[in-house]
Amino acid sequence: MRRGILAFGLFVGVMALVPAFVQNAFVLRIVTELFMWIVLAITWDVMAGYAGYLNFGHGAFFGAGAYVTAILMMRYGWPFFVTLPVAGLFAGVAAFLAGIPTLRLKGAYFAIATWALALAVQQLALVLDITGGPDGMRLPPFLDPVFFFYLILAVAVATFLLLWVLLEWAPFGLKLKSIREDESGAMALGLNPARIKVQAFILSAVPAGVLGGIYAFWITFIDPASVLADIITDQAMVMAVFGGLGTLLGPVIGAIIVFSFKTIFWAYLSDYQVLYLIILGGGIALTVVFLPNGIWGTIIGHIQGRNALHKGMSLNMPPGRSPVQGADVND
Amino acid sequence: MTEPILRVDGIVKTFGGLHAVNDVSFDVGKGMIVGLIGPNGAGKTTIFNVISGYYAPTRGKVFFKGSDISGLPPYKLAKMGIGRTFQVVKPFPGLSVLENVMVAALCKHPRKHDARQHAWEILEFTGLASRADDAAASLTLPGRKRLEISKALALEPELLLLDEVVAGLNPTEADRTIELILKLRDQGISILVVEHIMRVIMNISDQVVVLNFGQQIALGKPVEVARDPVVIEAYLGEEAA
Ligand SMILES: Nc1ncnc2c1ncn2[C@@H]1O[C@H](COP(=O)(O)OP(=O)(O)OP(=O)(O)O)[C@@H](O)[C@H]1O
Ligand SMILES: [Mg+2]
Repeated sequence: MRRGILAFGLFVGVMALVPAFVQNAFVLRIVTELFMWIVLAITWDVMAGYAGYLNFGHGAFFGAGAYVTAILMMRYGWPFFVTLPVAGLFAGVAAFLAGIPTLRLKGAYFAIATWALALAVQQLALVLDITGGPDGMRLPPFLDPVFFFYLILAVAVATFLLLWVLLEWAPFGLKLKSIREDESGAMALGLNPARIKVQAFILSAVPAGVLGGIYAFWITFIDPASVLADIITDQAMVMAVFGGLGTLLGPVIGAIIVFSFKTIFWAYLSDYQVLYLIILGGGIALTVVFLPNGIWGTIIGHIQGRNALHKGMSLNMPPGRSPVQGADVND
Repeated sequence: MTEPILRVDGIVKTFGGLHAVNDVSFDVGKGMIVGLIGPNGAGKTTIFNVISGYYAPTRGKVFFKGSDISGLPPYKLAKMGIGRTFQVVKPFPGLSVLENVMVAALCKHPRKHDARQHAWEILEFTGLASRADDAAASLTLPGRKRLEISKALALEPELLLLDEVVAGLNPTEADRTIELILKLRDQGISILVVEHIMRVIMNISDQVVVLNFGQQIALGKPVEVARDPVVIEAYLGEEAA
């Protein structure tokens, strides 16, 4: 753990120095965007890896946050920073309201429900006046890449620490995992699954909402086709699955690898975007089949496996998970 | 007479047209072991599910320490002091044995460190300490049954519901579990135990309730019940079937 804190501090320290050495606006933008994806991937994994629920609508929290900031700034003249807590709060309330009915569903139905809800949100943004409909919204340009770099880095660090404290340090993560493993069994041990799952859903939504708010001001133009596109959820999913679900570091590593690949690919082979999607799709399929625990999960599994052998025990059990919850008490 | 820990009063539970449990009433006194027996499908597990909050009773009431708990959800009852095991065991397979027990221990010890400590004590008591760091999925059936008991115990319950924790164990394992149950009784925990094996029930129970097709056909001391012609017939009927 001490080594972990050291590595974390070192990583953040090095990252904080990036703007001092990188004057190239393009590179700075890429690194900023990477931190954005890290936040989306680790927050998606709260539900997928820890709670066992695949949220196919995660991007809607991000998009909603973007619209909250845009609307409050442009229609009500709020200062940027004041809109961010509201963007987070809005995403949290949305998760609460959406979570109460959908988190009673088993995994597969939850996936479909969240996908449909996100689609509904996108359609809503297309028809409402306040969102500017298909024309989207333009925000006042605030062209300070270093400012956005530090802001998004701060959100990423804060989100990572928050999730670490709640999911790894505090008992909450253990409760959540036990519900993932066997919901009705967890109930017999004093846990209220409905409540804990909704709390986790809110936890996954709030950082995404804040991030969306920052993104809107950074990019200065949002519309339903960009901030509410399902590709946002898809990318975050791919990153988390590739890195390894149910760990905090897995999605971070997945985000770094997948996003680097994407950036390099688009920089040199931008004529072959279809090829990018094919490679991404193939890669994720191979990951699920051959490395079901992702890159980081597989590494951890190997380390633990070897330790357990030394102790003369067989612990070759990667963190298990089943997206579909069994609630049958008599099975 | 002091108030019983558990009072089951006229419980009926139907599934569609099927009366899985039909008008069952009995008490579990403080520090007592009550055996619940009956042929397959008699309604024993259904009664457990009603008492522990998994099913709301169709009719009748359940009282725990004098207060009506009928229809309360399982997690509230667990917090109030009712621990149960599942006949079809429910380990958290991807978590370690220790973590499995910690989840339950968190109920009374909200801090993770305290819960871990308490879970360790439970595992030492139930003989699973050497497997603490193994994934629960790696346990064989006797281990899983012992894990079920460990988790229920980690709630520090006043009432323990044990659903066939001896069945399927070899004689040595079975004796160890029976010894464990008696130890728990001696610590003052009241226990309702479902078991098919007559030898077990008759030896450890203070009272025995017999169900057949959801009906309560006998209630009394083990020796009385064992002589009851209705009970004998129910069991002979089962063997003939
Ligand atoms: N959820 C359910 N839905 C429909 N029927 C059920 C349900 N649970 C139990 N039953 C039925 O109720 C009856 C009693 O079942 P129960 O599991 O309580 O019996 P049991 O005494 O525990 O039997 P066993 O000794 O085999 O464990 C059976 O006929 C069973 O099929
Ligand atoms: Mg049963």
